[in-house]
Amino acid sequence: MDNSTAQHDFVQLMAANKGILLKICNAYCTSKADREDLAQEIIFTLWKANSTYNPDYKFSTWMYRVALNVAISYYRSTKKTRNTIPFTEMHIDLPDLPAEADAGGGIALLHRHIAALPELDRALIILYFEEKTYREIADIIGITETNAATKISRIKEKLKQQMRNTQTKAYGRP
Amino acid sequence: MEDHELKNIWQAYNRQLEEARILNMQTWVVHMQTVEYLQLHKAQSRLQSLGRFKTGIVVLGIVWCLFLGVLVWGNWFKNPYFTISVGMLLLFNLLAVILYIYHIVLIRRISYSESVTGTQQQLAKLQASTLKAIRILWLQMPFYCTWFWHSSWIDYGSARFWLITFPITLFFTVLAIWLYKQIDYKNRHKKWFRLLMGGKEWTTVVKAMDYLDEINRFKQEEQVHLQNG
Repeated sequence: MDNSTAQHDFVQLMAANKGILLKICNAYCTSKADREDLAQEIIFTLWKANSTYNPDYKFSTWMYRVALNVAISYYRSTKKTRNTIPFTEMHIDLPDLPAEADAGGGIALLHRHIAALPELDRALIILYFEEKTYREIADIIGITETNAATKISRIKEKLKQQMRNTQTKAYGRP
Repeated sequence: MEDHELKNIWQAYNRQLEEARILNMQTWVVHMQTVEYLQLHKAQSRLQSLGRFKTGIVVLGIVWCLFLGVLVWGNWFKNPYFTISVGMLLLFNLLAVILYIYHIVLIRRISYSESVTGTQQQLAKLQASTLKAIRILWLQMPFYCTWFWHSSWIDYGSARFWLITFPITLFFTVLAIWLYKQIDYKNRHKKWFRLLMGGKEWTTVVKAMDYLDEINRFKQEEQVHLQNG
């Protein structure tokens, strides 16, 4: 496969799976500049690792692995936004979500509680919300299905409790 | 709040992304030009820059080892203290260079397409292993106190040697062995460790160790479940 065909195929795959990229960037970065930098880093790593993708498996599973690994490493790194290409050239724009679309404030609240979770727990709950099976989650994260299920159950309980507490504080009702 | 309510919020988030047209190709375009720009401008990942930093250290280390090698070769047992001391310095520095070369090999082997815990563990191990090189380098400390020794100082019982030079060397020898044994992850919370390793580079190493601990705990739980199961 020549380079231009590989690039074309890669771009098609990115376009089809850009939701994964966006949600992971939103979950690990709060500022727009960081999100754009992280998006660039994920795309670059995916492009570099493109040859390691085995078409026998789901592309999204492979993409989640790479994207989460890059996002967690980025999140843990102290040096951020050091090498961002201006987004006008990159054609990547990840603005903050408009507040009016979240009238009840639930999305922002859930995001805030997810952002407070440890990095690995955050990866687990994103995969759960993205309707991945426990088997796929276990495969992406590198733990057993039982362990994934137990952890997700615990994280969900924690999130529900936190959401309840915040709502009680805000509205005086559970 | 129930499970489905949490999922409903997430689905509302998905809808919100669609409605905000952030996912629309008109506002969020990834095309051929992007890939080309990435190839041209962003040809350095964090790992690659770490690799370059380590390669720089290896080059400096090799230059230093060559210098030490020339010194040993040029003064071959004219003064045994000098030859043995510089020879030992050469040995410890060579070990550190080999360890850094091993790190570079590890960096090249790390793959982001492995499982999340697997890759994160490798990355954290890589950062934490800098400590091994430091431990080895501390061991060379006493030999900086012995290269200028002369046999006449011992043969003729030089007071300055026995009262100053020798005790200082002995002190640094004990200190070097103690540091070699004590510079360990388990001592990271001790005051002396934080004083010695308080710099920015060491903070990263200590954080990597904490993270390794966290990943191990994260994975350990599955063992508990398997045993219970």
